[in-house]
Amino acid sequence: MAQRKIRNSSSVGTTTSRVTLNPKVARRSFLKLSAATAALTTAAMTTRMTAKAATSAAVKAAYPNSKMVRSICTHCAVGCGINAEVQNGVWVRQEVAQDHPVSRGGYCCKGASAIDMVTSEKRLKNPIKRVNGKWQKISWDTAMDEIAGKLTAIRDNDGPDALHLNGSAKVSTEMAYLQRKFAAFWGSNNVDHQARI
Amino acid sequence: MIFIGSNAAEAHPVSMQHILHAKEVNNAPVIVVDPRFTKLAAKADEFVRIRPGTDCIFIMGLVNEIIQKGWEDKEFIRSRVSGFPEMAASCSQYTPEEVENVTGIPAAQTRKVAKILATNRPTSLTWCMGGTQHHIGSSITRAFCILQLVLGNMGKSGGGTNIFRGHDNVQGATDMCVLSHTLPGYYGLKDGSWKHWCRVWDVEYDYMVSRFKEKKWMNAKGFTLSRWYEGVLGEEKIEQYTPIKAMIQWGCGSNSNSQYNRVVRAYNKLDLFVIIDPFPTMAAATCTSDNVYLLPCSSQYETSGSVTSTSRQIQWRHKIVDPINGCRDDYTIMKDLVQRLGFADKFYKNIKEVPEDITREINRGTLTIGYNGQTPERIKKHMENWHTFDIDTLQAKGGPCNGDYYGMPWPCWTEEHPGTPILYDVSKPVSKGGLPFRNRFGTEHTYEMSGRTENQLAADGLYNPGSEVKGGYPEFKDVVPGTNWKTDLSQKTLKEALRRGMAPFGNARARCVVWTFPDQIPIHREPLHSPRPDLISKYPTYEDQPNHFRVFTRFKSEQNPDLVKGFPFVLTTGRMVEHMGGGAETRSNKYLSELQPEMYAEVNPKTGNDLGVRDGDMIWIESPEGGKVKVKAFFTERVDEHTIFMPYHFGGVLMGESLAGNYPAGHEPYVSGEPANVCTNYGYDIVTQIQATKDGLCKISRA
Repeated sequence: MAQRKIRNSSSVGTTTSRVTLNPKVARRSFLKLSAATAALTTAAMTTRMTAKAATSAAVKAAYPNSKMVRSICTHCAVGCGINAEVQNGVWVRQEVAQDHPVSRGGYCCKGASAIDMVTSEKRLKNPIKRVNGKWQKISWDTAMDEIAGKLTAIRDNDGPDALHLNGSAKVSTEMAYLQRKFAAFWGSNNVDHQARI
Repeated sequence: MIFIGSNAAEAHPVSMQHILHAKEVNNAPVIVVDPRFTKLAAKADEFVRIRPGTDCIFIMGLVNEIIQKGWEDKEFIRSRVSGFPEMAASCSQYTPEEVENVTGIPAAQTRKVAKILATNRPTSLTWCMGGTQHHIGSSITRAFCILQLVLGNMGKSGGGTNIFRGHDNVQGATDMCVLSHTLPGYYGLKDGSWKHWCRVWDVEYDYMVSRFKEKKWMNAKGFTLSRWYEGVLGEEKIEQYTPIKAMIQWGCGSNSNSQYNRVVRAYNKLDLFVIIDPFPTMAAATCTSDNVYLLPCSSQYETSGSVTSTSRQIQWRHKIVDPINGCRDDYTIMKDLVQRLGFADKFYKNIKEVPEDITREINRGTLTIGYNGQTPERIKKHMENWHTFDIDTLQAKGGPCNGDYYGMPWPCWTEEHPGTPILYDVSKPVSKGGLPFRNRFGTEHTYEMSGRTENQLAADGLYNPGSEVKGGYPEFKDVVPGTNWKTDLSQKTLKEALRRGMAPFGNARARCVVWTFPDQIPIHREPLHSPRPDLISKYPTYEDQPNHFRVFTRFKSEQNPDLVKGFPFVLTTGRMVEHMGGGAETRSNKYLSELQPEMYAEVNPKTGNDLGVRDGDMIWIESPEGGKVKVKAFFTERVDEHTIFMPYHFGGVLMGESLAGNYPAGHEPYVSGEPANVCTNYGYDIVTQIQATKDGLCKISRA
């Protein structure tokens, strides 16, 4: 029964081609959450923080002068495609990648909400440090200067192995490579990341 | 398909369309082995409920049953496997009845699963952290490989060991070896490894030596993510000349560490703690001393670079927008730091265009795994033309990428190579993505347990089409005198091997006996904290390790048969689809927060009723180490009456107290909850030091 359903829903003439099991759901317009509607204040969990789906007409029309950028979801290792609609340097909308050879238009809820990685109000927007137990804003220059000064002092007094670097499986391969290279040039093997666990 | 310790329906949801296609269109039976009846188990033809931490004996029991019935792939074993008789003798102790005694899986079900595997070849085997996070994790994963070797399922479409990796780029970061025991490309920490990378980096080896305290520290494995904090706390004996005084945590949610309350104490003892992340992680809220800096890096959508998926496919993650106001991308922060520390000229010697020149440096140096042909130009070309790849073979049909496999899965030996979509596939020429097994451990070995000597190269007549040598051969060296295929930066060796139709790393056998491991053949050992004290004397753990990644690590002295009296339940953890890792990102995402706003623990109704707890009541869960969490009881028969399950994505609460006020104002996550890892127990793998979070003990009481 289930098999027949799948065959019936697959595109004409390609009996071996794969389909999402419920293409209707995959294409549902609720994925197209507009960034404009995301300008909500920090809401208590009792109120809905998210907006409803846009109308079908609004979904079809591209934002004026927008461009589509192909990118890759930052959550799990399946590596789903993301089509991001960008207008004047602002990520305004995201679309499933129907023609991506692995995800094939599929998204989980994390992938479908990828845009909030950029739009979330919870993002930090300047360096901060704790002073007398309170968070205090500082400039990038001050922060980097103080950190580099303290690191150098620790290296001089205690040796390079007094630093441990926890790198990341969430950065690009190039950045991961720089993290390992950094530890080497710093002079220690005290470097690790999430693959250990 | 057999899944063990994997809940793909929640952890890798989009992979399910392929899994369900295999099930419903190709009629592949789905076997799910898990302590919980997971969402993936709900799709299984055969659900096998296993006691946490007993995967090894179940799998080796399957291997034994297959051999006893004569279902092993004899030709595959004859030509491509070594150490088979020794392994078969070892696993013969694991009869279906003994497997039942240890795992709780009925003997008849073990026999049934063995038959399903024998009659449905090839089978694909998938595992995740449920297979690895045990003190015998390294044996468990080897058992998985041995099962696939015995069935002859390696190197075949539809077969293989397909570990579903966790984070989006954990494969790429692992390949680059952000790891304390090896340099990029798994080169290790030997003098030759350092000299190789010094040549790639174009710096003097002596300069690199001068950066270390003494040369011996260059070759010594460092602290790990699992236990770095022991270097701060001073409560365990460490093997290093200084305690750890500074920590940089760059894109790493801390609440995925077991014994998390001890990690928190280490944060507050550091002289300097730098957190680089788009969101304040839980670490920022738990560290209340004046040592801490938060640097807001951009998300990965605001920068670019390559990422490697769990299928070794390399994709280019294009920048969607510039870093949002006030944030900086990772590369900019690194460059600033390195400049201020005074070694930028050497560090960036061959890196001008970022990130493309970094990719090129990786292409130049990472010969071991064939990261050579995936130039930035080619990766971007694949992205632009992803629609031209066939969805079954993942090979481009026509168009600019004609013949390439999507993402050029490594090894991709040269700029003309299409990538290797299936490892160790001898049905294709090496230049077209085929491979034999690697020759890495000599050409001959005498086994300790049998006294037998065996040639480790593949049998005569086993080779990739077009190979000049019609059988096994060792790895290539001295094509350029004084170098081998891993160290010849001119890459002439790679090209010469391919020209002769051969693999640069030789054509050898896959080993059932790993003579460098504590357990040369995978055997069962009871979890460190076992709910079955009667099995400890028969299946004891290892001796304590005095210098295990620079810290004393307890095994035997930690395995106390009386522990279960006070801590009668097995604690296991896992994922939910709405959140990721420690949850710093997903709990700061309004959509996901709304979908899954609350921490909970799965409790079997019988367990709850016996304790006088009602569904939805708050309960305390406590670990033997003194960690405790206050969470809502969720009654469900997904877990059996001996087991408690918690998702590990929550944070922002610590041992019953909210930390909301400790976050920078307005940046506390939408959703907070107790981190499960406050309760995950002591225990580490003997080889890798991965933490044992899946088979600890706990007690519960009404809050």
